[in-house]
Amino acid sequence: MNWETGARRGIRLAASAAIAAAILALYYLWLPVNHTTVALSLLLAILGLATRWGLPEAILASFVAVAGFNFFFLPPVGTFTIADPQNWVALVAFLVTAITASQLSVRARRQAAEAIGRRRELERLYALGQAMLMTGGLRPTPRDFLNLVMRTFEAPAIAFFNKADGEFHRSGPAAFGEEELRAAAERDEPLVDEQRGTALVAVRLGGTVFGSLGLAGVRLSKTVLKALANLVAIGLERARVLEEASRAELAHRSEAFKSALLDALAHDLKTPLTSIKGSVTHLLARGPGPEERELLSIANEETDRLNRLVVEVLEMARIEASKLHPDRQPHRVSSLVAGALRELEGTLQGHPVSLDLPEGLPPAEVDGDFIQQVIKQLLDNAVRYSPGGSPITIAARFAGGRLEIRVADRGRGIDEQEQARIFDKFFRGREARGVPGTGLGLSIAKGIVEAHGGRIWVASEPGKGSVFGFTLPVYKGEVRA
Amino acid sequence: MSAKILVVDDEPQIRRMMRATLTGSGYQVDEARTGEEALEKFRAYLPDLVLLDLNMPGIGGLEACRTLRASSDVPIIILTVRNSEKDKVEALDAGADDYVSKPFGMQELLARIRAALRRAPTAPESGPRSFATRDLEMDFETRRIRVKGKPVRLTPKEFDLLRYLFLQGGKPVPHRELLQAVWGPDYGDESDYLRVFINHLRKKIEPDPGKPKYILTEPWVGYRFAAAEEG
Repeated sequence: MNWETGARRGIRLAASAAIAAAILALYYLWLPVNHTTVALSLLLAILGLATRWGLPEAILASFVAVAGFNFFFLPPVGTFTIADPQNWVALVAFLVTAITASQLSVRARRQAAEAIGRRRELERLYALGQAMLMTGGLRPTPRDFLNLVMRTFEAPAIAFFNKADGEFHRSGPAAFGEEELRAAAERDEPLVDEQRGTALVAVRLGGTVFGSLGLAGVRLSKTVLKALANLVAIGLERARVLEEASRAELAHRSEAFKSALLDALAHDLKTPLTSIKGSVTHLLARGPGPEERELLSIANEETDRLNRLVVEVLEMARIEASKLHPDRQPHRVSSLVAGALRELEGTLQGHPVSLDLPEGLPPAEVDGDFIQQVIKQLLDNAVRYSPGGSPITIAARFAGGRLEIRVADRGRGIDEQEQARIFDKFFRGREARGVPGTGLGLSIAKGIVEAHGGRIWVASEPGKGSVFGFTLPVYKGEVRA
Repeated sequence: MSAKILVVDDEPQIRRMMRATLTGSGYQVDEARTGEEALEKFRAYLPDLVLLDLNMPGIGGLEACRTLRASSDVPIIILTVRNSEKDKVEALDAGADDYVSKPFGMQELLARIRAALRRAPTAPESGPRSFATRDLEMDFETRRIRVKGKPVRLTPKEFDLLRYLFLQGGKPVPHRELLQAVWGPDYGDESDYLRVFINHLRKKIEPDPGKPKYILTEPWVGYRFAAAEEG
């Protein structure tokens, strides 16, 4: 209690005694009435003092009233007769009134003060929530939140322990130790230290623990502390989501940029090839002489080769940029194989192809274009690296919840060292020298199969032939088309 | 008289090559450099067929295709460096009749042009000449279709597809057979063409395209026409 409130209390005590004395004087000197009226008037005054100012004032007034009442009104007038039971009744009545009334009013006043306090807390929480939402598209940091909380709750000191990165943020005088904050993050209930005027509360959202918050120099109820911690947690979560969204946006943009770049590259490389091929094939169709036909055919074949190279290099770039997005649809293995065989018709060069595709295979859920390309690549490999006329087998089976497709040849085979590297980019085996190719085909096939969540492998015995196999996901939905 | 072809491409060398080869193959040729110019030229030149590039500055090929298709039945062949299934379906969805990826051999393109210009004979030699249910009327001689009494416009390929399916009398028609009957003998593997065109047809003639009652899918086989009155 400081000097000012002490002085106020002194004045009030004096005034209380004066009021009791004034009532006594009023009735004694100017208004002669019976002493019941005097007693009731005094009682009213004490009741008023007790509710208005408090217990000490009412008690003092009670004593003054009893003394005056006894001296001036109760017979024998002019003397203090404590022995008279009327005195006792009056004193007890005054005191009981004083105590009861003051207690009631103190309680009422305290409740009112609490209600106001709670309202202020709620107003602050609301203001904090609003301020947090107003941060808009910016990505607020924990420090921003601390400053907001400090400003809104007028807290002289604040501390935050961020569990995610183990960092401590503080503003104002250091009121909390690191251990204290770390422990608070794991505690369910807020910890309020009345003596130090500090509060510690865990910052959580659902099951996620963000850390803990310490406030010094403010008195907040546990409910409000929890709500405050919740708000901070929501704010942090929102900041995290915003951060994630902007990172995803960035990744998306860079992916879109790569994709656009590859598209532009494909366009610029293929456009001149289109002019060349169109011109050359037109001339070829005009019935040129044997010499011209030979040269035009070379130009035409080389255009195709260049085009294949462009396609393969760009496809490899797409696979490496993880830009391969298979458009998965249900496809029958038999029609995928048939499609690949149709496109390779001219290049099978007399290799008999036998199919081992059992009835009742489930459909595959794949991008038809891509998987046909894989089958073509494996067939193309089989043709290139096995003697003309040797048989090629395409077999499929359903095993372990996946489809498995194998392409087997009776070629020269691949030795073990080369088997390990055969799916590497630009790798070409010893046998491959002199056979046209870029060394990209198998690594593209691998990229495609892996983009479908499958795997590709080779088994080979030099001199006997090779088997390339890969797995595909099975379509599990209803068959519509 | 030889057919008139409008070549739309922003690359001058491609236009030069196309003009030389197409003129050499007996077609009349006009050129446009952008989608906007194509729409203008189309009104003035009235070509029998449009060869349309996709990658162009301005409104681009797809938009030009949609705009052309909204007002005309002219056959449109898309020529583009893109060759994914998705691009193909997108182009067909925009109203193109065919799709050729660059670079192409001239013989292939000429075959596609002939197929696009070709119409199935107007009146079939045998079989019914018209068909009518409560909400669908088809007259094969005048190539007119009415749905719930309102005339509906079909592109020539859509019409030929519907008629071929109808003439098989409810028998399932395999993809390959349908493609060869409607597009021509060089076709057969383009089952995505069928998917898109059947979708268009269903949108135009079915009361509920999601639950078709005339054009039914035979899973893994093809399509068939159901002349069912009920439903």
